[in-house]
Amino acid sequence: MTSALDVDQDRTGHGRGVAAHPGVLGAIAGIVGGAAFGAAMADLGALPSVASIVRADSPSVGLAVHMTIAALVGAGFGLLMANQRQDASDTLFWGLSYGAAWWFLGPLTLLPFLTGRPPAWDLAAAQRAVPSLFGHLLFGVVTALALAVLRRTGDRPRVAWRPAVTMGELSRGALAGAFAALGIALLVPDNLSPAAALGGTGWGRTLAVGVLVGVGFAFLSPHPPERGGPALVRGSAYGFLWWVMGTLTLVPLLSGDGLAWSLEATRERFPAFPGLILLASTAGVWFSWLGRAATALFSDDVRRAEGEGPGTRGLRAIGRGVLAGLAGGLVFTVLMIQIGYLPTVARLVGAGSPSAGLVVHLLISLVIGVSYALLFRGRSFDSGSALGWGVTYGFLWWVLGALTLLPLLLGGQPQWNVTAVVATFPSLVGHLAFGGALGLTYRRLETASGPWWISRTDGEAAQAFERRQLALGSAPAVWALVVLMAVTVPLIIA
Amino acid sequence: MSVATGDPGRQRATRGEFAIAGAVAGFLAGAAVVVVLVRQGMVDTMAAGPGPDVVGVLVLLVGATVTGAACGWVTQPEALPAAVSGGLLFGLLGWICWWLTALPLVLGVSPTWSATQAGEVFPYLIGSILHGGATGVLLYLLVDRLPRKVPVPPPSEGVPPRVLVIGGGFAGVAVARRLERLSARGLRVDVTLVSESNYLLFTPMLAEVASSAIQATHIASPVRASCPLTRFRRGTVDAIDLERRVVQVSASHTGETDHLEYDQLVIALGSEPNYLGLAGVAEHSFSLKSLSDATRLRNHTLTLLDRAEGECDADERRRLLTFVVAGGGFAGVEMAAELFDFVHGVRRYYPVIGPDDPRFVLVHPRDRILPELSTELAAYAQRRLEARGIEFLLGRRVAGAGAGFVILDGQEVVGTETLVWTAGTQPNAALAALAVDKNRAGALKVDATLAVPGVAGLWAAGDCAEVPDLDRDGAPHPPTAQHALREGKALADNIAAVLRGEEPSPFRFRAIGTLVALGRRTAAAEIRGHRFSGLLAWLMWRAIYLGKLPGIEKKVRVLLDWGIEEAFPRDTVVTASAEVGPVEPSAVLS
Repeated sequence: MTSALDVDQDRTGHGRGVAAHPGVLGAIAGIVGGAAFGAAMADLGALPSVASIVRADSPSVGLAVHMTIAALVGAGFGLLMANQRQDASDTLFWGLSYGAAWWFLGPLTLLPFLTGRPPAWDLAAAQRAVPSLFGHLLFGVVTALALAVLRRTGDRPRVAWRPAVTMGELSRGALAGAFAALGIALLVPDNLSPAAALGGTGWGRTLAVGVLVGVGFAFLSPHPPERGGPALVRGSAYGFLWWVMGTLTLVPLLSGDGLAWSLEATRERFPAFPGLILLASTAGVWFSWLGRAATALFSDDVRRAEGEGPGTRGLRAIGRGVLAGLAGGLVFTVLMIQIGYLPTVARLVGAGSPSAGLVVHLLISLVIGVSYALLFRGRSFDSGSALGWGVTYGFLWWVLGALTLLPLLLGGQPQWNVTAVVATFPSLVGHLAFGGALGLTYRRLETASGPWWISRTDGEAAQAFERRQLALGSAPAVWALVVLMAVTVPLIIA
Repeated sequence: MSVATGDPGRQRATRGEFAIAGAVAGFLAGAAVVVVLVRQGMVDTMAAGPGPDVVGVLVLLVGATVTGAACGWVTQPEALPAAVSGGLLFGLLGWICWWLTALPLVLGVSPTWSATQAGEVFPYLIGSILHGGATGVLLYLLVDRLPRKVPVPPPSEGVPPRVLVIGGGFAGVAVARRLERLSARGLRVDVTLVSESNYLLFTPMLAEVASSAIQATHIASPVRASCPLTRFRRGTVDAIDLERRVVQVSASHTGETDHLEYDQLVIALGSEPNYLGLAGVAEHSFSLKSLSDATRLRNHTLTLLDRAEGECDADERRRLLTFVVAGGGFAGVEMAAELFDFVHGVRRYYPVIGPDDPRFVLVHPRDRILPELSTELAAYAQRRLEARGIEFLLGRRVAGAGAGFVILDGQEVVGTETLVWTAGTQPNAALAALAVDKNRAGALKVDATLAVPGVAGLWAAGDCAEVPDLDRDGAPHPPTAQHALREGKALADNIAAVLRGEEPSPFRFRAIGTLVALGRRTAAAEIRGHRFSGLLAWLMWRAIYLGKLPGIEKKVRVLLDWGIEEAFPRDTVVTASAEVGPVEPSAVLS
């Protein structure tokens, strides 16, 4: 695996890093991340609260304490990443997840404990700590990037900065982003367009935002490229990153408004959240598809062609997707009946009865099941990965379905606002349950009818290798991040 | 951190070990979270309201333990970061399952999953997330550090039982495919399949290949693609040594012999034409058992049309265009109908050949055709074909054949260049030397479990086996494709049962029905006692057999062939010569 900042790597994905202890490297990276977080805390006036850990209230003492903690937490990250793939893109998503996890552990749990207060686990306290959440995410991102750079410097520092991404990939990323941005802009009103998410308007800016997001995705895309489904999920985490670092951080900073990390500012800028999630995930899928299309059209080496072709495996996958979609749909049906949501679904076909709603719902489930099969076939190496892909895919369909397509098809506008998020929270839970059942059922069917990963000679070893590659990449981090974001963001801004 | 990270020197933990470690990790992490919650006085709320604190604590600890066990069972983490991520994921899902769903139900309140309800239990969301993360860390450390209770399996367990399947027809491939499925579910078995051809031929559509309606390779599925986990050997079975458990095989391409050892042997060699010792028939007839048979007949028919087109003598032209089919079973009737459609369908390109020049004769020794069908349907089939001009010589037999003629019983000589032989089959000749109980035709007698009595580890299925039908007092199952398929699956299940030390089950199958195609837009069918004929039966025939055709790719190709046939004429390209050498009638008659 290589990425934007990669240098020569062996086939297992491990580059030629320096021989320093991973904890030390992590501590240095943590100090870099802590500096960024510290600057933000200084801007927000939050350093005295950190100083209270040592019974002081001076910002400088707070900064010193903060940097010490950052070094320790960074060392933990370095140790955690010691056996992971060393490229920047994978490390970045781990950093995001790590930062998010430390928000729950640090300011909500340990900080109150160390200052003699009860844990701040209630919703009001979490809402007060929203700026800290974004600070932790910033810390995670910067620490991850610093660690990725540190692990590649030392023996060949100059080469370390040579981008491994090619011009072709950057062009593909730009094209993918442009396609995704145009698609979304055609679907939503101007005030929700990708340009508006980053503080602009008009088709030109929409295209520019799309290209920017797409090129960024190309930088963060692993080698060899992912299939459509994993790229879609990676894109959703990437979209969240854009919302935090773009909409809430860079755009207000550049416009001189300061960090928009407060609860009120977050609520105000929430409409950009679904848009950026959809933009980045769609760009991810386009990026993957364009790459495969380019290979199919321009590669004259049959060894690079897809195994049996899409016809054989694709058709089998569709059959399994139908069944898995129905299984997921049945799980969701229980929730829909409980909350009385079926009549709303029935309105899609101009009806109003629960039975009509049930039929429509199951048909939609079937279609989503088929799409899951085509996007994620052959990507579930065990039940854990099946659950990860399924649940994250379910979240995406909450954004695309409940918040976007359903209101559009019912004659309204996409409901990318806090009120709608609160109203559709039960639907979010249903989509997560749907995705989980979908992923697990699909994996079960795939395993039972065709253990595709087992070759004649070294079947179990091949399966173990693929599972390990998945664990060493950033997929588990992306799953955790997406589900964390899916559940906590709506509740905190509600 | 060597085990869970996949150190090849140490054995990976089993799924059960992951679950146990997860339960312990979940309990320990849960205890830490519970301590925090108790200190905050939040255990009343979560313990179903009015209950005492101790109940709440117990409920929480049980929930934490179950969540941890599920996390270990499902995620089986390979690395510490993945373990933490998996734990976080399960913490979140556990919060949804317990706090948003199960707890309201326990309290007698309908769950609404609303943001308001979720906000009320938000503290437990944070607790669940932290619990999940801590569980992931502990799970990984426990699996990594604790001693293995399950020892590394001894080398003898590393060699799976060897199952050798000889024959790549419906039964043989069904056995291999079923064993692959069972292998995916944990059965340790090493399967090898030996077949003369490298494909599974879908024989019900063979007549359509001979009549140029379907491309030859479209009804054949490559065994290597159909059975990707099975070792495949292309070759001919020369000898079977039941005592030493060795099968001698000659490679198809080199002729080199090899000896394959087995623990379980499945004989599914199918059948081959039986010419009943009739003079000249084997040499001067076309059988219909393989792709090459069908393509040879197709090329031969087209060559005859070319010859007839250039023939000035009307009698000779009629002789050239006389097609004799021996046998009035499914294969014979379908072949006669298809030949009729083929010849008349392309006749427009041969302007010299008149509509009355081609002659089609079906010879059958009994008084009615299609004995597998009811009398009424058989009569219907005969009427429809006779109406088109196909002659039926019932109660007659082919007595011999030579180049340019067929001799019927009673010494009648029919001038023809084409005799299609479907009047008899016999089990594969390789079984002749096998010292086991056989029926009169030479098929292996097996018991209801498809095992050959008296020989441990020997099984048989398909056309080469006589399988007793327990629902018909032990009368043999008919040698049809649908029976062979089911027998193959049942046989694989029984092998798996034996390998697991269980009792094999008797094979039971009631035929779904029978269908016979009668050429263009016509067929006859009996499905579960219901009779169908004409266009409806023809559509049923196509739908059912298309569904039975192995492989999606082949289904699509045949469907396209059928679609193309509706829009364009059949292909008349001759791909190879298929002439039969000259023999004088006197040589045969003498």
